[in-house]
Parts: sequence; structure tokens; C-alpha cells
Amino acid sequence: MSRTDVVAMILAGGQGARLGVLTKRIAKPAVPFGSRYRIIDFPLSNCVNSGIEIVGVLSQYQPLALNTYVGNGHPWDLDRNNAGAYILPPYQRSGKSDWYKGTANAIYQNKDFIDDNNPKYVVILSGDHIYKMDYAAMLKQHIAKGADATVAVYEVPWEEAPRFGILNTEGDDSIYEFEEKPAKPKSNLASMGVYIFTWDVLRTALIKDEADPNSNNDFGKNIIPMLLSEGKKLFAYRFSGYWKDVGTISSLWETNMDILDKPEEINLVDRSWKIFSRNPVKPSHFIGKDGSVKNSALTDGCRIHGVVDHSVLSESVIVEKGAVVKDCVLLPGVIVKEGAHIERCIVDFGTVIGKNVKAGPNVEGETAYTNHKICSQGISVFERGLIIKDDAVIPANSMIDSDIDVPEEESVIADTFRV
Amino acid sequence: MFNNAMGLILADNKKITLGELSGPRALSAVPFAGRYRVIDFMLSNMVNSGIKNVGVLTYNKYKSLMDHLGTGAAWSLDRKNDGLHILPPYVNSEATNLNGDEELWGILDFLRTSRTTFVIVANSNVVLNTTFDAMIEAHEKSGADLTVMYNRDATKFGSPSYILDVDDDGFVKDMLYNPQKAASNKSSLGIICLRRDMLVDIISKQMSHGITHFGIHSMVKMFDELKVYAYEYAGVALRINSVQTYFNASMSLLNESVRDDLFWSGEPIYTKVKDEAPTLYFETSDVKNSIVSDGCRIYGNIEDSIIFRSVTVSKNTTIKNCVVMQDAHISENCHLENVILDKNAFVRPGVRLVGHHDYPVVIGKGAGI
Repeated sequence: MSRTDVVAMILAGGQGARLGVLTKRIAKPAVPFGSRYRIIDFPLSNCVNSGIEIVGVLSQYQPLALNTYVGNGHPWDLDRNNAGAYILPPYQRSGKSDWYKGTANAIYQNKDFIDDNNPKYVVILSGDHIYKMDYAAMLKQHIAKGADATVAVYEVPWEEAPRFGILNTEGDDSIYEFEEKPAKPKSNLASMGVYIFTWDVLRTALIKDEADPNSNNDFGKNIIPMLLSEGKKLFAYRFSGYWKDVGTISSLWETNMDILDKPEEINLVDRSWKIFSRNPVKPSHFIGKDGSVKNSALTDGCRIHGVVDHSVLSESVIVEKGAVVKDCVLLPGVIVKEGAHIERCIVDFGTVIGKNVKAGPNVEGETAYTNHKICSQGISVFERGLIIKDDAVIPANSMIDSDIDVPEEESVIADTFRV
Repeated sequence: MFNNAMGLILADNKKITLGELSGPRALSAVPFAGRYRVIDFMLSNMVNSGIKNVGVLTYNKYKSLMDHLGTGAAWSLDRKNDGLHILPPYVNSEATNLNGDEELWGILDFLRTSRTTFVIVANSNVVLNTTFDAMIEAHEKSGADLTVMYNRDATKFGSPSYILDVDDDGFVKDMLYNPQKAASNKSSLGIICLRRDMLVDIISKQMSHGITHFGIHSMVKMFDELKVYAYEYAGVALRINSVQTYFNASMSLLNESVRDDLFWSGEPIYTKVKDEAPTLYFETSDVKNSIVSDGCRIYGNIEDSIIFRSVTVSKNTTIKNCVVMQDAHISENCHLENVILDKNAFVRPGVRLVGHHDYPVVIGKGAGI
């Protein structure tokens, strides 16, 4: 494979509304994950480790943090002379300009970028999965089978199949049908949202799709069925490693906990397939005389004087003396004050949990912050840049959002600040 | 931010050896504080002062230093103009024709191609977090030819120490090397600033007098010919000039005030990025009063220790008052106390190693026990 045979495009423009306040100010791929990482570190690192050096990152929703984070691609070795990471926002052009209408339209709008690099193959990736995958092995199969398109699939439990886009295949793994969330699935091969296309074939399909006013301009809903109807050769590529979608609060929480409970599955210490990330430039973490840390993941800049159990802490988190943090995911710069006791909380950037705050499944009741649509399994989510009042009591399944109208006496937010 | 200065770091010191720790590497490349090398502090201080042109002078054992510094990107010193310059002994094509003054020629070349007014020259045996703006301002105000930074660091300086005798106006009138009886508590930190053209003159003059070695204190010693001003640094400055002072400096990081001064109150300290995974603490772990870096797997007990990146501490093992460097592996049922374990050291199950806090045991790089 020559260096420029392949271009990867990461679809990073979606809002990720099911993550609630976590994606109020940043796009989902820029959400911190697993103590040291952002979600997009996984597809970016997979690209580099697979030998793909031209990576387009399609951004649209709240692009600022994502663009800053990806930057010139240096942390992933994607600052090459004639390759690298390219941020591709929608742009104005003479005639018709548009936001990205769908996944396929986002690629359609950037077909000039791909044409300029003149690849034989294009890898389409989404920015919301945690997995390590060798795209080069998938490409090898694509070439060997003489495929026009290859879709990576993951065998999911049959009872969960109705939640996924399901691919129905023949014995040779050729695809004959795609069904989005079928009530009665014929197969349990779920699409991972990882596609390899022969660029000529995709290019033609994208132009045809764009001309159809009734299309949703989506890969799963439109492009794959179109190629199937045209009799193109589509194959499934079976992937069996660790793969998790982190599109919801509960799946984001569970996937973070997987790092603690089954570290060998995602195996972040594998030096042959490192996950690279932008470095926070902070000193090593510190655990004080009164601190206790068990079953947890920590990184640079954390200062722990309280109890941390079964939690994932991002950089520069402070847990004060007498505080208890259990089953939590704390994002960069969070401060948990003395005597606070929080369980099953995801706390976004910089938020300060006041003294003696109680939050978690042990707290009963419902408040104006209770949100069963976004939060489940007793998990609560805190927006970034909040100062939570001392002694606040926050029941499970709360989404602490500064934009919710709450009477002063019920509000748990003392102040907000910009982070 | 001051950007009218260039920097010169002397990466090694012939007067200082840290035993097995400095065996495989230059003094400035000795790992420190969990994820740094000693040189990271001075490099960051310079960069944080707005200095964009830094020379690192080496004479041997510079492989690990070169690996660490690379293009200087970690310090934003990978620049088209200026940037990071590694200055090994300058040898031209007639390598057999050495005069011993190759080191000075290298420095002169480096100094002459710059356009800045000032130069900061620093030894690499001191760890501190500062910027040089105030020092240069004091230097200009005093009308001195050369300004040396010192601190009042009690009496236990260790060797080599350079004690300054300073007059009422703040000028150096005498400097004593390892004195039996200290004339003052003012000890040089081995950091000077002076005009670049002045430094070029001094070096040229020294060369014509047959001097072949470049040293900061040989210039401070010129207080009879030059006006040498002494500038006090009040913050934390950790001197590293022996295994013992290295150990003490490491252990002092367990004081919150030292950590705050070095890492949290000033500008960031940059270092080479390693992209390790987060550190995992397992059910059986028990860690107290310790600094731990990324990529570790902790199953055992750690107390009062500094743990570098990607260290494994196995079950039923106790690490107390130790410095454990990168990639060290400590197996089950071990007891280590007052030990410095260098990189890649491997301790087999059941080993008991106890040093004294005044005389820690050093296990060399890659050693198996």
C-alpha cells in the first residue's frame, strides 16, 4: 500500500445529543474518555497505526474544542510534509452552500479534498467508538475480494441486534441486504460505521445520491442500499476485538468502567498499538497521606487527598480530604471538596463539587434536574464550569444543567464560570 | 515575556557524578520527579522567559540526552529561526588536529550567529521553576557586567558549592569553592546573565590565554576585572550534585510547598511526551504520600516514594522511601526501602533491599535482581 493510496475521513460533525450537557459546548469526538484520552484519539491513532497518513476530520457542530485538539495533528504524528490531519468544516462556495446534511453529504462536499489526494480507496470512520482496529488488514480483504465497498461488522448478541444497523450476508460474507434497526433481525452482524470504498465507486454514488432530493444523504440508509441495488460487490469484514459505542451517558460510563474492570480487553498498555493523545503538560499525579485510591485510573496532575474507588479521573482532578468518589468519571480539572460523597457521576471540565455534597444512587427522590431521557442506571451528569453549592443533595439520574430553569431554593448551582 | 536573550545550558558537569545514575547519561539527562529529566526545568525556564534560541553544550554520554531532546518540539523549540541547538565538541574535518579548545569554538560560533542582546548561561544541576525577566532587569539596573543567581540554602550545599561573598551594593567581592567555613549562606545556583558581546569577548580572551574549558564559575571568578552582581532567588531550587542530594531532592517533592513552587505556581515544565496509558490502581493496592506517573500498574503498597512512568508494582510488595524509574518491574513479595531503581530494572519475587535514608541503594539501569 503506497502512502497516498488511502485517505481516511472521520465523521466528527455530529452533536451527540444523547450525551446531554457533555456535548453542549464541544462535539462528541472531543469528549474526554478513559482518563488520558478524547474519543477521537481512537480513530486517529488507529489510522496512524494502520499506516494511513492522510486523515480528514469533518467538523461542524461546536468545532472549536475539536479543531484546537486535533490542531496540526502533531500528537498522532499527523504533521507530515504532504499528508497529515486536515480539519474539514463545511465552507462557503459560489452558488450553493450548505451545512453537512448527512454523513454521505459531508463526504460529497469534500470530494475535491479527496480528489486532490487522488487515492484508490477511502476509509470512512465515525468519531464515537472506542476500539483498536487495523484498517490495513480490512483494506487487504477489500482488495483481495475485489470489493467495491467493505463494511466492518461486529457480532452482537441476537437480542441486541434490533438496536443496530444489521447486514445480511451470504456464506462468503458478501452483503445482500442492509436493515436499519430491524424488529426481526436475520443476522447479528452489526455495522460498526467503518467503511472502505473504492473511491471511483463511492464518488459516483455520492454524486447520484446528492441529486436525489428524497435522500437522507446517509451512508447506512442511502449509499449502502444504493450500491446493493446496483449490484456492486459489498463484503462484510468481521471484527472481533473490543468495540464500544459511547453515544449515550450509560454507554460512556460503562466503557470508562471497562478500563478498570477488564483492562486486558482494550489493552491500553500495548506498545505496538499505542493510543496517542494531546498531552496536558502537567506533573505526575500525587496521592497524599490521607488519600486512598483503589480500582481506578489516574493521570497527570491529579491530587488525591480523599477516597477514590472504582473511578476514572482525567488530568488535574483534585479530591480533597474526606471526600469520597466512587464509580465516577471525572473530566479534566474537576474539584471535589471536603466531605463530598459522589457516586456514579460524570462530571465535566472544571466543575467544583462543593463541600459535603451528596450525589448518587443512595440519594432518593426527584428534582427539577432529574432527566430519565438522557440519564439512566442511576448515573448523574454535571455540566462543565459549575460551582455546586455546599451541602447540595442530588438524586440519581440527574443532569445538572445551568440552562434549566430552577427556583432559587431548589438550585444546586452556586455559580458558573467559563472553562 | 522577554525575548531579547538566548540561552546556553551546560548539559554535563565534570565535577559531579551520580554514580550509576550518571554512568549511562549526562547529568542533565538524569530522570527526575516522575516524568522529567533534570534539563527539562532549565529548558522550560528559558522557553517560558520567551527565549527562542537555546544551545545545549555536551561533551560525552549525550545519546540519552539527544533521544530526549529530539528536535526540541516538546519545548516548542523546533523553529526555522533559532530553536534548539545541540553543541557537541566542535570537531572539523581534521579530527586529529585537536587543540582542546573545540568546545569554546563551538560556543563562539553559536553566540556569534545570534542577534540577541543577552545570554543566559546555566549549569544543569539545579531544579527550579522561574523566568529570567526579573534577573535581567536587575542586571541592567545594577550596571553590572555579569549577574549570577544565588540562593540562601542553609549550609548543606554538598560539593561542588560556590559560596559568594557579596558587598553592601550587591556585588560579588569573593567566591569560595567548597569552603570549610562558609563566609555567607549565599550559594551560587550556577545561572548567569550577561551581554552576548561581553560573553564573546570573555571567551575569546580566555582562549588566547590557553583556557580550553568553558565554565560558569570561572567567569564569576573574574570579579576583579568585571562588575559581578549577585541576584537572589527566593523560590525553591533543588541542587543535584551527588546521589544523596538527588535522593533528598526527590524526597523533598513530597512536600506540598515544594511541589506547588515547582509545578503549580509558575509556568508549565515541558518534557518529552511518551503517550503512556493512564495508571491503574487495583484492589490490592495501597498508596500513600507518593508521586506516581502514567502507565503504571499498581497492585502493591507504596509509601513516600516517587514512581516514574510504566512501572509495575506487584501484589504483596512494599515500596517505601524509594525512587523507581521508568519501566522498572518489581515482582511479588518484595520489600524495597531507601532504594533508587534506575530505568528498566527488574526485581524478582521475594527480594528484600533496604538502604539507609542517608545512603540509598542504587540499582543500575536495566539491572536484574
